[in-house]
Amino acid sequence: MKGNIMDVTITKDEGKTFVKLDGRIDTTNADQFQHDILPLMGGDNLDIDIDCSGMNYTSSQGLRIFLMLQKSVMSRGGKLVMRNMNPLVKEVFDITGFSNIITII
Amino acid sequence: MHCEMILDEYHEKMPFYEKMKSIVTERLGACLEENKIVVAGLESRIKSEKSLTGKLELKGSKYQTLDDITDILGVRIITYYSDEVDVISALVEKLFDIDWDNSVDKRKMLEIDRFGYMSLHYVCRIPERMYHDPAMPQLNQIRFELQMRSTLQHVWANMYHDMGYKSDVEIPAEYQRNMSRLAGMLELVDEQFSRIRKEINDYRRNVQALVASGDFDEVPLNGDTFRSFLELKPFQRLADKIAAINQAELYEDDLMSYCHILMLMGMRTIGDVVRMRNENEEGAYQLALIQLAGTGLDIVAYSVVLQNICIVYILTQGFGEAGLERMFKLLYGESEYNVQRAHRIYEQAKKINLI
Repeated sequence: MKGNIMDVTITKDEGKTFVKLDGRIDTTNADQFQHDILPLMGGDNLDIDIDCSGMNYTSSQGLRIFLMLQKSVMSRGGKLVMRNMNPLVKEVFDITGFSNIITII
Repeated sequence: MHCEMILDEYHEKMPFYEKMKSIVTERLGACLEENKIVVAGLESRIKSEKSLTGKLELKGSKYQTLDDITDILGVRIITYYSDEVDVISALVEKLFDIDWDNSVDKRKMLEIDRFGYMSLHYVCRIPERMYHDPAMPQLNQIRFELQMRSTLQHVWANMYHDMGYKSDVEIPAEYQRNMSRLAGMLELVDEQFSRIRKEINDYRRNVQALVASGDFDEVPLNGDTFRSFLELKPFQRLADKIAAINQAELYEDDLMSYCHILMLMGMRTIGDVVRMRNENEEGAYQLALIQLAGTGLDIVAYSVVLQNICIVYILTQGFGEAGLERMFKLLYGESEYNVQRAHRIYEQAKKINLI
């Protein structure tokens, strides 16, 4: 398990943007995570698929960044999907009601 | 020779037409937006040289100068509903100077027993109050044509035009009757769409009044009534209480996806939803408390309120984990995680004696 690091890998394929997250998002690295994810909040990143299999925790700061990304994608007529979330992270989304906002598969 | 002069004038004035096209479409678009009118299309075109040559070959003697031809710049607004044509024409009359002598309402030109082309054609000028460039006074002098018609009128006109006829005198009599029948049918459909829209708007106004009256048992639960009910912020008190657990920010998301779930749970009226809220809000709060306290999560979505109320209702009605799984399937789609999700919540509910 990684420490207070969140690795963000962004790739593109046939117009779709794939994001792979590894690590955790908390107060110590949320600003860096926001900076890493910033390129997705504009341009032609309309169809975003986030693989969360390597993400082991997110704090409220992480939720706010995902919410910001969701709003940005929606306002441009795109779609954000988060997949392969581990049960602990899913629970965070459930108990805050964020599972009602973001598509998690 | 006469036609060549008109064509030369056409080329000289092209920059004015280009500029006019941009002004007219930009102002019309802004006006529609300001008045919250969504249209099916706003089109504009400058007549091509080929098309102008064809027109001059056919009716050249009718025109002395290019200014006599009023449709070099043509703009068209296509509405969704036929009754919107009158609303838009009133706005157009305020926006532009209308040349009434050359404007025609083709909708009123048909005999009472005839059906066919229906469109409103205005010949307009850009008034100085809208745009004035002393270096280009022609922009306020040159006329352009603005057509307004409904989508179905547009479909009929396009199909007719596609068959290669410019007027109904050219069409063979045996086909003319069928085209007229189609035009009559589309006119009826247009009228029905407008009528249905008006009835739905009346219904929504009535629903809003009924919900606002507070006589909830008289209000059936459906998408319109639930939306009006949500405007009263019926879950705000519980949402604030849940947010206070972690001094959290409350994010106002949409609760409409719960309407279908409430209906499947057997809620028939808004009154049923109010009773369900009243009977389950303490349980919903206790559930949020056990889930959120100590997590430090300081943002929650408004929908967590209704999510928890539904969970508590399902459990207290004895539907158990299977009931929760069904709800999650409806909310989040088919997923193996729904089983885990249901089991986790079931265990939490046991701890706080909800079951």
